[in-house]
Amino acid sequence: MNSAWLQRTILRAASFLAPGDQRAEWLEEWRSELWYVPRRGATRFCLGAFRDALWLRRNNLSPAKPIQACLESPLGCLAFLAACAAVSSLIVALLPAPRRGPPSWHMGIRELPEGCMATLMLSCLLFPAIRMAMGRAAADPHPVPWTGRLRLGIFLGLKIALVQPILLCGLVLGFLIGPVAPFAPQVAMSAIWTFTIRWVFADQQRRCPVCLRLTNDPIRIGTPSETFLEWYGSESMCSRGHGLLQISGMPASYSEQAQWLRLGDSWSGLFRSGLPSSEAAGVRPR
Amino acid sequence: MILQAIGSGYIYGYTVMEVTGLPSGTVYPAMRRLERDQLIRSQWERQSIADAALRPPRKYYKLTRGGEAVLEASRKRYPLLAKLTPEEMQDV
Repeated sequence: MNSAWLQRTILRAASFLAPGDQRAEWLEEWRSELWYVPRRGATRFCLGAFRDALWLRRNNLSPAKPIQACLESPLGCLAFLAACAAVSSLIVALLPAPRRGPPSWHMGIRELPEGCMATLMLSCLLFPAIRMAMGRAAADPHPVPWTGRLRLGIFLGLKIALVQPILLCGLVLGFLIGPVAPFAPQVAMSAIWTFTIRWVFADQQRRCPVCLRLTNDPIRIGTPSETFLEWYGSESMCSRGHGLLQISGMPASYSEQAQWLRLGDSWSGLFRSGLPSSEAAGVRPR
Repeated sequence: MILQAIGSGYIYGYTVMEVTGLPSGTVYPAMRRLERDQLIRSQWERQSIADAALRPPRKYYKLTRGGEAVLEASRKRYPLLAKLTPEEMQDV
């Protein structure tokens, strides 16, 4: 095999890990550097591109994408899920009945609530396992008042309700493609189910308990090599300045839970109109 | 190590790899992190220079003032760091 072709393919494959807006320049840099690398170590050199692209993806400083920006506010998140649920319901209602399998899987609009109830019951079986795998909710030394907890609960309940039509759509599609590709529907359904419910809980964990907005601007603290001496992980902040969410990189006995650090009123000067002033200054408030 | 290499005139990613002995998967992300922390800055060389030398243009890195201060502090703390890079490259 032509090694130059292999190296170009490796770089091209790695480039898909880099953020889209920086991909062209990233690829240009690696290709130009490759020109200077001796042929003997070129393939090994190119393999490092995956790690670099992954780093760039994880530390992308470009502005949030429209979907991410939409999901940040609780109302935006619910509106997005409602739109997805509406589209999924429409797909379920328009899909033809499967050639084999139970004829009841062809649903009209009237049968949708029953179908969603069935998926909700199936989801309930997964909740404890996923909740346990993801760990407990963030610890807060100053507990949220009951109104705040109620708001958090209602928000979680609405999200769970709105993902049911999406899961139902996946289930019906699985039944349709079942005769064509045996086992594929089961595998796909398990993956979709686990991913969706995990997303619901992960999204909930990353939200500010005060304003329910997603915490953002994550930074890494500490290094994995010092895990015996010091905590390490990532810290993200509420864009309204309500607090900081610290998530451990590797759960240990002393840092099993995520920690929510509430910021006092004295920090409010750093946050203007929902955006930290540090964005303008390029400095993170610490 | 990477700041020392860049401060000594090894201003390209691959030359930093050569002088530090670190793999590409370590050097490039580390250089991006240093650039994000404003300790180094990168710039593409002019196309005309690369065309004249019949090679593709390269991205080169330079220390910022903050980077120079951090490097100086690191040299004081780790005196052997200064011996990392060959002397003849100091003026490049």
